Amino acid sequence: MFSPLSMKHISIQALTDDLPSASVILAGLNSFSPDTRSYAEEALPKVPGQRFRECFAQAKARLDKIASQVGFSPPQTSGAVTPIAEEELEQANQWLGTAWETCSGFEETRRRQLEERRSIDQLETTLDNFRNLHIDLGQLQGDKQFLETRIGMVPRAQVNQLKDALGLDHFLLFPFMENDNESHVIIVGAGGSEISKLKSVLDTAGFRPLEIPPELHAEPETAQTRLMQRREAVEIAAEALDESINGWSADSRKELENAAHILHLAAPYVALGEAARHRGNLSRLQGWVPTEDLPLVEHALHDKLPNAFVLETRDPTADERPLVPSVMRHNKLLKPFSALVMQYGVPRYGEVNPTQLFALTYILMFGMMFGDVGHGAVILGTALLMHRKLGSFTAFGIAAGLSSILFGFLYGSIFGFEHILHAVWIAPLTDPLYMLTVALLLGIGFIILVTLLNIINHLSQGDRIGALFGDNGLLSLLLYAGLLGSGYSFYANGSVATFWATLAILTLIGIFAHKLIEQEASIGERILVAFIETFETITGYASNTLSFLRVAAFSLNHVALAIAVFTLANMMGDTGHWITVILGNVFILVLEGLIVAIQVLRLEFYEGFSRFYSGDGRAFKPLTL
Amino acid sequence: MSSNRDQAYLKTRVGVLSARLLSPQQIDRLKEMSLRQLGESFDLLPIFEEAIDNRQKSRLVEQALLHRLMHELSVLLRPLSGRSRGLMLYWPRKFELYNLKTLIRGKLNALGMEEIRDNLFDLPENIRLPHESLLQAENVLEMLRQLDQGPYALIARQARNVFEEQHENFSLDAAIDRLYYTGMLRHANITDSIDKRGLKKVIGVMVDRQNILWLLRYRLVYHFAPSEAYYLLIPYGGRIQRDSLMALANLDGLETIIDHLPAPFQEILADAKHITQVRQRLDQTVSSELRKLMHYSPDAVVSALSYLIIRDMDLMRLYAIIQGKLLKMDQAMLNEAVPSNAIGARLAEANDV
Repeated sequence: MFSPLSMKHISIQALTDDLPSASVILAGLNSFSPDTRSYAEEALPKVPGQRFRECFAQAKARLDKIASQVGFSPPQTSGAVTPIAEEELEQANQWLGTAWETCSGFEETRRRQLEERRSIDQLETTLDNFRNLHIDLGQLQGDKQFLETRIGMVPRAQVNQLKDALGLDHFLLFPFMENDNESHVIIVGAGGSEISKLKSVLDTAGFRPLEIPPELHAEPETAQTRLMQRREAVEIAAEALDESINGWSADSRKELENAAHILHLAAPYVALGEAARHRGNLSRLQGWVPTEDLPLVEHALHDKLPNAFVLETRDPTADERPLVPSVMRHNKLLKPFSALVMQYGVPRYGEVNPTQLFALTYILMFGMMFGDVGHGAVILGTALLMHRKLGSFTAFGIAAGLSSILFGFLYGSIFGFEHILHAVWIAPLTDPLYMLTVALLLGIGFIILVTLLNIINHLSQGDRIGALFGDNGLLSLLLYAGLLGSGYSFYANGSVATFWATLAILTLIGIFAHKLIEQEASIGERILVAFIETFETITGYASNTLSFLRVAAFSLNHVALAIAVFTLANMMGDTGHWITVILGNVFILVLEGLIVAIQVLRLEFYEGFSRFYSGDGRAFKPLTL
Repeated sequence: MSSNRDQAYLKTRVGVLSARLLSPQQIDRLKEMSLRQLGESFDLLPIFEEAIDNRQKSRLVEQALLHRLMHELSVLLRPLSGRSRGLMLYWPRKFELYNLKTLIRGKLNALGMEEIRDNLFDLPENIRLPHESLLQAENVLEMLRQLDQGPYALIARQARNVFEEQHENFSLDAAIDRLYYTGMLRHANITDSIDKRGLKKVIGVMVDRQNILWLLRYRLVYHFAPSEAYYLLIPYGGRIQRDSLMALANLDGLETIIDHLPAPFQEILADAKHITQVRQRLDQTVSSELRKLMHYSPDAVVSALSYLIIRDMDLMRLYAIIQGKLLKMDQAMLNEAVPSNAIGARLAEANDV
């Protein structure tokens, strides 16, 4: 419960032909994570399914492209869960290849239609440009005996260079219109032997001749009408294309669903990667399974794998521990807290899983800092109303709201009104020093707890030295106790008690000595580093403890903000009063609520997790269907 | 980058790294080393000892050398931010554009996905093209449609022209090169460098080299008309500007073109017998000029950029030597393929940069 589930390393020896079945069976259980470290390369030199994987990758890419083009979304897979043979996958891939060819044709037609639209746009603009010249545009095209003229488009960035280049062949270039990327140009020069050179350089420059269709030779109004007819034709063609795509999509839906289903079932075998190796007919597959799921895995394999197999299991070795994936199974209530913990990192295998502690302390501190029955009720109500959108985070909202309500009763506060409810415990502003003391004690308790967790973590990893002398080890804890005891005795009696002072000094010497020994550098550098790090240990504990004063500070702040709102409200008339009260409460709820949520997270991560939680574990990624 | 601290840091870094640059004597020594010794000196031994054919070894060596260059780039990038960082990050885009050329050529020639993939450079994430989706394109038109959607729409158009009209690839390559150098100049223009002149000199030196080489190839090897040859060049070099380039494009014959080149190219390339020799001498000159800029520019970014370009050229020489060794070339052939830098260095020193 307080650490990731115990794991077993399993190795399955089976017939190579049974591997796809094994992958599907394991994927159905969600309990097997492939171990892709290389192993037994000499005895089992090959990774099976190379061709299968390539085929899968191609088929998957094809299906994705088709899906995005025709708007196909694979349905939730139902039906028989059976392994996919390579031939079956090949067939699906082949069909997808043909299907993609068709879709690619659709896409190319669409592109050409787009080009045609652009061309019509450009012709219309050209027509506008030449309208006042009263010349027959047709005269600009066609073969002439002495004069060569071309009209067309070139990339805008290249116009000057093309002009220079054409100048070398005694041609003139005149740009007459520009848009974002293209320039419309007229090229004029003497006909004859230079024409082949002109063609060559224009081809190189990507010159696109602007075909002036015969219809533009007519009167401008008639030409305009004909262009509109051409545009209409393109629109009709576009509609026809859409219909063809929809028709094809409807006709092919069954095959597409079948292909998607095949790929879905083929995915687990592909995901095995190098976790499976083989020589001839014999294969081996290795991975990690939670110990509690092992009987289930064993049973499923015995039940469904067609041929005999050998299953070997063992505990992870000490060297393997950093590689073992961590599995945490939480109930619905803890899921949102677990997601926040994962933002910091995945617990290392064997490390204490901080989710429960995090959930408890987060909710406690949130309530303390934002205690108000009304505000808590709003948070609770919002979480319940928006449960569909919030999903698993609804539980987070409910817990935060309830905690806020509870502390609201303890503080006697409802929507900032301090005199409606009687405070069960204390109204924060009546004794700020008391509140600060409570927060400080809470912080001390929290830091002691997380330091103890750090010691447990080190011991569970077999690191006794770290547990004793390391940062936040036993010695650091005793130093903390010594410093707290010394501080308290000085505060209470005016002098430092010998016991606490001796404890602090001895532990300080111990920590300094350990840091001196563990360094690998010259003696001068060692002393310097050990001194700085020891000093840092003391300042770290002091600053982290003082950080918890913010718990009290925010509870006071909440009341102070409410007072500010009411002061403003009292300066208004009746209507203005209530509007100010409502808006002020919204302001407190949104802004302060958000700040408190972030501040608590900061306390958890910075003051808490950084002391005991490495968060560098590997997430459990099981084969899934 | 403007702070003195960052300038000092970068200058120091370039100073330290510049010790890795190869002197003419070192290049001569490398040519005399065995493959094993080269492997030991440059941590490439595991590649040479792998049971793979020479083509694969050569590919792995190229990749390893590129990784080395990219690592050095990442070290030099550390103190940089803003536009200076943008400029330094733009320079390695040429490798991305090599990949783009490979992808387009591969698809135009209907090569298989694996064959194309084998010839792509493995680049860091921040300068990498979305290879996988381009590779997965099942035909040229699909790939061109993908290119149309991104920053390479102009290239896609040129490629479509090559594909549909069955043209040669020159216009495509030239368009890609022009895109690269235009981008480089754009970055140089907007950067807050304290030595913009030096920065433009670095780019000018590279563009001049590119222009001379390709002008000779277009005119003398492919026999392009002057107008077509000129169109494919980049009209904003360092010493060879637009007008000179047009005049040069109108000339014919290696000797005539070299005779009309501005100083110092005329002197450096005098009596060059073929284009390979021209390339080698240009490389040596570029290397020598950039060394001066690396040492004397007041702007650490100019020094760092110069260093990277020289280092890239050095690694290319090393790669050529290793390839020669893999192919068991004799010493004479190797000397011809990778000549000593002495001539270029001497000539470049004789001329003001």
